[in-house]
Amino acid sequence: MSNADDARRAWFRREILPLEPGLRAYARRFSRSGAVDVEDLVHETFARLISYENWESLTNAPAFASRVLKNIAVDQRRREGIVAIESVADVEALSIGVDQPGPELDVLWRDELRLLADIVAQLPERLRQVFTLRKVYGLSHKQIADRLGLSVSTVEKHLAKSLRICSDELARHPRTETIKTGASWRARRHLDGKT
Amino acid sequence: MARASSPRREDIRQAAAEWVIRLAASGAAPEDQAAFAAWRDADPAHEAAYEREASAWVELDRLRALRPGDGLPDPDLLAPIRSTSRRSIPRTAPWRRPWAVAAGFVLVVGLVTTLAVSTFTSPAYATALGERRVVVLPDRTRMELNTNSKVVVRYRRGQREVELVRGEAVFEVAADSRPFIIATPDGHLTAQGAELAVRLTTGDEASVVVRQGKVSATNAAGREVASLTRAQTALLNDGRARVRAVDPGEVDRRLAWRQGAIALDGQSLAEASAEFNRYNVQKIVLMDEATASLKLGGYFRTSDIDGFVRAVTDVFPVSAETTPDGEIRLRQAS
Repeated sequence: MSNADDARRAWFRREILPLEPGLRAYARRFSRSGAVDVEDLVHETFARLISYENWESLTNAPAFASRVLKNIAVDQRRREGIVAIESVADVEALSIGVDQPGPELDVLWRDELRLLADIVAQLPERLRQVFTLRKVYGLSHKQIADRLGLSVSTVEKHLAKSLRICSDELARHPRTETIKTGASWRARRHLDGKT
Repeated sequence: MARASSPRREDIRQAAAEWVIRLAASGAAPEDQAAFAAWRDADPAHEAAYEREASAWVELDRLRALRPGDGLPDPDLLAPIRSTSRRSIPRTAPWRRPWAVAAGFVLVVGLVTTLAVSTFTSPAYATALGERRVVVLPDRTRMELNTNSKVVVRYRRGQREVELVRGEAVFEVAADSRPFIIATPDGHLTAQGAELAVRLTTGDEASVVVRQGKVSATNAAGREVASLTRAQTALLNDGRARVRAVDPGEVDRRLAWRQGAIALDGQSLAEASAEFNRYNVQKIVLMDEATASLKLGGYFRTSDIDGFVRAVTDVFPVSAETTPDGEIRLRQAS
């Protein structure tokens, strides 16, 4: 069912993706020995979560996501014959992301446009120009190609490369959607108790 | 330590980014869609990576707020500041005005005080100004209330009915043998396994946007006045309905509040500030017609009046003044 798939992907975007900065921080606990790659761990966790059938019944996405990550990390270590598992705090006690909305987050959000602009400013010159024309001015790929004397396929390659850099940069910064995630699961859990 | 799977991860993410760009191109063909679906469905890692890149791509649309009001597109608009005297955004954020903190406070208070008033028969769920709330009903229908909204839930034997008393809500209606009925002052909506948003406007109309599924609108006399399906919108007023199609981007824009955002794509400043005023105690007042009719694009947090006013005054010849009682007055800069 494509509607169900759309709903599942919307859930993934809404509830899971904003957890990335928190999950990376958590993943670092497992990679102290260098045997586990933080990026791979998060990548694998995302792949498991997006195919999780019972997503609709989850009331605490951050706790579930960290449990999945931990399981993957532990499995990987076992496979690689690393037996000693340092005590890692119980997932329920971990605070992933920011789950207490507060005034300081307003500042975060306000600075977000700055953050985006800074990320773009750091792209290599050609990528930055193509990306600016596309995202700030909304020009089509063809219009950008004509203006900069490039082929459309080069423009698209530059855009894809820019997007890769920007999405990794964004994943390093806790962003405001996290507020929403934290707030929404708490509200839901609270109301679940009532209904 | 380099591990075998890392290059694979980067390959997947790179492929995902290429798909995002290809599908965002104006000439994306149906064959592309099919090839994309095949790639995505081949591996959950592909699907997750695509969502990650696509979501960053959408987030980067906020950059549109930096587009100057006129002049030719400048590819070096965002060049590093050291290069020349390019237009730049201030480095620091001198924005810790008390009312910005107050806006955040409204959000916190809204979350802490539960306004769900439960009675035995008809629980009601309400949100305060600036608050959003998700409620999962017993049949797993998911209901998301926007700012300053109220919904009364009446589930009885054989009947699922909710009443939108005020504001706006999105309903993701769970499939069930019983119809799901949304009562509004302008008539009833009957949905079956649909996703729709209903908003009561200040002009005593009910505005409906259907994202998925089928929705039927009936007037007070029980006569069907409209039948809506995916990507259609209707305005219900006084027993009449006006239906039109909307593109999916417009649906997303109208529902940006679910991400705590206001998305603008060519709306007038009058419309944009009316949106902000729905969410905030502090109100924006436009002092002249020229200012009210300016057209805007961009993506803002609902409580971020500050950032919004800054973007407007940066880009347009508009000045802002805050009155002692906290009103923000925007007028043409002289």
